[in-house]
Amino acid sequence: MRNRHLGFVAAAATLLAAAPLSAIYERWTWLIQCAVAVALIAGAATLARSLRAPLWAQLLGMAATLLLTLTIMFPSGDELLFLIPTPDTFSHFSAMTGFALDDMRSYGVPVPDRPGLQFITVLGVGSVAILVDLLTVSMRRPALAGLPMLAIYSVPVAVYTTSVPPLPFIVGAIGFLWLLAADNVDRVRRFGRRFTGDGRDVDVWEPSPLAAAGRRLAVVGVALAVLVPLAVPGMTSGLLTNVGQGGNGPGGNGRGGRVDLFAKLSGDLNQTAVTDLLKVTTNDPNPFYLRFGVAEQITNDGFKSLSSRGTSVNEGLADPRRNQPDDVRYREYQARIEVTEDFDMPMLPVYSTPIKVDDVEGRWNYDPGRQTLWSTAARSKNKKYGFNFVRADFSPAALRRAEIEDNAGPNQFIDTPPVQQVDELVAQVTRGKSTQYDKVLAIHQYFSEANGFRYNLVTEAGTSGSAIVDFLTNKSGFCQQYASAMAWMVRSAGYPARVAFGFTRGSQSGDSSDSKTWTLTNKNLHAWTEVYFGQDFGWVPFDATPRASVLGATRSAWAPDPDATEEPEATPGATTGPGADPTANPNTPQDEGNDEADLGAGLGDTTPTQSTWPWYTIASAIVILLLLALPAMRRRFLRRSRFRAASTPAGPAVASASGGVTVEVDVASAGRAREDAHAAWAELLDTMVDYRVPIDPTETPRATADRLVKNGLVGGPATDSARLLGQAEERARYARQPLQGGRLSDSLRTVRRAIASQAGRRTRLAAAILPPSVLLRWRLAIVEASIRTVSTAGRIRDVFARWSPRRLLPNRR
Amino acid sequence: MTQQSWDELGGALSSAEFRAASDAIVANIEQVIEGKTASVRLALAVLLAEGHLLIEDVPGVGKTKLAKALARSIDCSVRRIQFTPDLLPSDVTGVSVYNQETHDFEFKPGAVFANLVVGDEINRASPKTQSALLESMEEHQVTVDGVTYELQTPFMVIATQNPIEMEGTYPLPEAQRDRFTARIAMGYPDSNAELAMLDVHGARDPLFALKPVSDANTVRRLIATVRAVHVADPVKQYAVNLVTATRESPELRLGASPRSTLQMLRTARAVAALDGRDYVLPDDLQNLAVSVLAHRVIPTADAQLARRTTDAIIADLVHRLPLPHERQRSPYDNRPSTGDGRAQYDQRRN
Ligand SMILES: Nc1ncnc2c1ncn2[C@@H]1O[C@H](COP(=O)(O)OP(=O)(O)O)[C@@H](O)[C@H]1O
Ligand SMILES: [Mg+2]
Repeated sequence: MRNRHLGFVAAAATLLAAAPLSAIYERWTWLIQCAVAVALIAGAATLARSLRAPLWAQLLGMAATLLLTLTIMFPSGDELLFLIPTPDTFSHFSAMTGFALDDMRSYGVPVPDRPGLQFITVLGVGSVAILVDLLTVSMRRPALAGLPMLAIYSVPVAVYTTSVPPLPFIVGAIGFLWLLAADNVDRVRRFGRRFTGDGRDVDVWEPSPLAAAGRRLAVVGVALAVLVPLAVPGMTSGLLTNVGQGGNGPGGNGRGGRVDLFAKLSGDLNQTAVTDLLKVTTNDPNPFYLRFGVAEQITNDGFKSLSSRGTSVNEGLADPRRNQPDDVRYREYQARIEVTEDFDMPMLPVYSTPIKVDDVEGRWNYDPGRQTLWSTAARSKNKKYGFNFVRADFSPAALRRAEIEDNAGPNQFIDTPPVQQVDELVAQVTRGKSTQYDKVLAIHQYFSEANGFRYNLVTEAGTSGSAIVDFLTNKSGFCQQYASAMAWMVRSAGYPARVAFGFTRGSQSGDSSDSKTWTLTNKNLHAWTEVYFGQDFGWVPFDATPRASVLGATRSAWAPDPDATEEPEATPGATTGPGADPTANPNTPQDEGNDEADLGAGLGDTTPTQSTWPWYTIASAIVILLLLALPAMRRRFLRRSRFRAASTPAGPAVASASGGVTVEVDVASAGRAREDAHAAWAELLDTMVDYRVPIDPTETPRATADRLVKNGLVGGPATDSARLLGQAEERARYARQPLQGGRLSDSLRTVRRAIASQAGRRTRLAAAILPPSVLLRWRLAIVEASIRTVSTAGRIRDVFARWSPRRLLPNRR
Repeated sequence: MTQQSWDELGGALSSAEFRAASDAIVANIEQVIEGKTASVRLALAVLLAEGHLLIEDVPGVGKTKLAKALARSIDCSVRRIQFTPDLLPSDVTGVSVYNQETHDFEFKPGAVFANLVVGDEINRASPKTQSALLESMEEHQVTVDGVTYELQTPFMVIATQNPIEMEGTYPLPEAQRDRFTARIAMGYPDSNAELAMLDVHGARDPLFALKPVSDANTVRRLIATVRAVHVADPVKQYAVNLVTATRESPELRLGASPRSTLQMLRTARAVAALDGRDYVLPDDLQNLAVSVLAHRVIPTADAQLARRTTDAIIADLVHRLPLPHERQRSPYDNRPSTGDGRAQYDQRRN
């Protein structure tokens, strides 16, 4: 019976502890699923315990319940009777896990409802529920149950790169405290029968050193979990977002190898190591950028990736050369890529536009809209593959003719969040331009050094409250900001645009007669803008990042370097590599700053930008300090009011009962004297609690005063003072007439000083900063609330039981 | 043998008079009993609480002496019964004998017809004889051959007995034990007291020289004063809680009766008055709990096996039972209203 209550609290506490997950989901579906799973697990645990099953059987029962729940929630369609898992179910589960890992890479927070992520979430929360239940109810170690609960905690802390919303964490902490409180109540209940003389609860908090240590640890842990990521910007290593170094999430080899497909409008790139990611051999003499991902959904913070679609590469790839305009030249090349183990993504980098992929291991799909290769099961790590691609070379003249047909698919990619400054800027930049190409080119040229744009690994904080306005004002950032800002502006001008992710050219490592070999490292990771120019042209790349600062950056004929001195207008079909900028030789020495990659390790390292975080930290520190000061302030207030009470001038000493005959007395002043004595006594008790002098509820005031004297806690003049306080309280409680005319406030002060002088320095400090008397009272309030909740839940259950349809069935015949 | 009701007590005494009268009795008894002030005061408290006293201890520690000294200090009728295995109930209550001359039955009153009855070694008589006291102790009357005779008042039985482990004893029946307000143990005197005893008692027994210092009338007025002592609601509640705790204790097979609640509170009043207070404290109840409750309760077989005495069990209950909260709460007191606020501070004792 008691266990059932505790099991209920354990389940509820697990759900509360999962509250921080709300920070990473857009919607609340996950919570419903988790609640169902946790409830079923709790039910299974109750059943197992009521059958007096041993610990291992309880564990087994709960695990089986979790499995069944997952099977029903995420069916593969091959289950027996929809709920018995088959081998297919398990392979489906592993596929789900794969999806989840993909989703982790391809979505920024908050993520939409994705089955894979939901599967992982239900699995994780369900497992934690099992652990918490076992630790709390079966093993009676609720403090340890904080560890699995903290595990849920750490997920949003690790994932959230900007700021962690504090409320869900507080909710989670309350869940844990509730668990501890409920366990204590329960422990005391089973300790022995409670005295119910007048229906009172006896001793709720048992001062068990283990539980106390656990509570303290838990509080420190929670505080750290909330504070550290707030305070130390460089420390967050995103679980979802890491490349090259750091992150070792599930499925990783300890070095990560993933790129977050989220182009941020602000951020921070910190990166040290250089890791080889790809080796590319191609007969394209002057290759452009390798692509592997696209971000097309715009948010206030930047662009994020939607999910991929498409069909298997085995079904063939579409050829873009359907109706060639005369002045667009297509050339077909081959390329072969070897991926190292440090690039681990569910996508394969290819040159645009691939038309044929051979001998790639695993099941890969081609997304014709994005021109990317992706998979739900396979990964790029250690893959070797070859492909043919057609390289388009657009002349500005051809692009000027481009027209976007209505109702074309990419038209959905033109909306932007309403930011008036950007719209005004775009209007100003594109003034006087008539064609789409001219407008886009004007926007591209706008990101020039002449306009004050600089390359910087860290964005500067701004005050506008809008990341894009900040960037356009500060004019400082790295590829992600340039790519997404240009895409935004192009969209604002009314044309579809998106951000592409991939690699710049890299360094040449081999040269044979007809092909060159390039080595691409994490420093070559890059992001740029693609603008849609209608069906005939498709998506045309524009790289707005200052070229000099990006290793291996190249420029095309239609998007010349705005910082270059030569005439931007290139002669169509002039030189060797159409579209290749002759000046862009990857081997030429570049700027000092360019040894830093553009789209490097640090996508995940993006935290609140440079100068906002101290304010954020200071503000939260102040809030926390205020919260911490609350008990002390409460204590001060209490003491003040009690002292004021105890020092009110006592009424005229009135004749008290003598010889059993009560003399007429001043009722009002007697009442006041009584209150004063109570106030003084309550203050003495709180003082004792604060200075860690034990309080005994079975002790009378007289006995308490005697104990203080006997234990040497008060001595000298304080002896009489303590006795006076005891006597005053005793008479206030039990005599016909309270003690009057006593100088209680002076006595109180004397005794307080005496007790304080006996306490250690640390105790005195604690009494001043976090007075235990106030904390205990608050804790007790939590305990009471918990008792009330549990008993209300019990009552509700009883009501439901009463209305259960089973009662209507004829049970005797 | 004047019939006087307990209810015609006379006026209450002032605190000074009360103190003088009670101190005189205590001092008088202490001339005879060395170093046993607590026992002596408790014995007097039981008298003032209109109860009966059971003195239980090993032989030779002054039980009989205390009983006799108390009886002698008050000028009233005193009878003494030496309980032996061959004592008959009729020796206690009285018997109807046939009078040859009047050709009629005539009632010969037994030993209980006195203000103070000293029953020595009460557990040496058979249970049948012990039970002869039952009716008289509770109802102040004796019924012999269908005729009921009123007892004199004041009426107090002071019985002594040896611990039941001693040879040749019949344990008192529960009903009998429940009628004793308090059971006290004498305990050995400390060495100073024993030295003083040698000096004073060496030559002759001071008991013979003991003069009454009080009379039945004064005792009645003392009792009236005790009845006026104030008992606050929380104290009453505490008494009820204590008794309830004995009934709920897993270590006790039989808890204390409502009669014991009544007697405990009466004795607490007397103790408070002897202490010079006109109000009862929970401390009084705490100090009395073992004396008043321990001889009435019966431990479970488990507790007996664990050699837990009822004294220890009751003392334990007192240590664990929190005080009830005051009825009037201070406005500055923000302790939660449900239950006893001080429960939060409980340091459990084991
Ligand atoms: N505390 C005491 N003070 C004075 N005399 C004592 C004390 N204890 C025992 N005695 C002496 O011991 C003797 C035995 O006492 P008694 O009352 O007959 O013992 P019992 O407990 O067997 O009835 C008496 O003579 C008495 O004077
Ligand atoms: Mg004797």
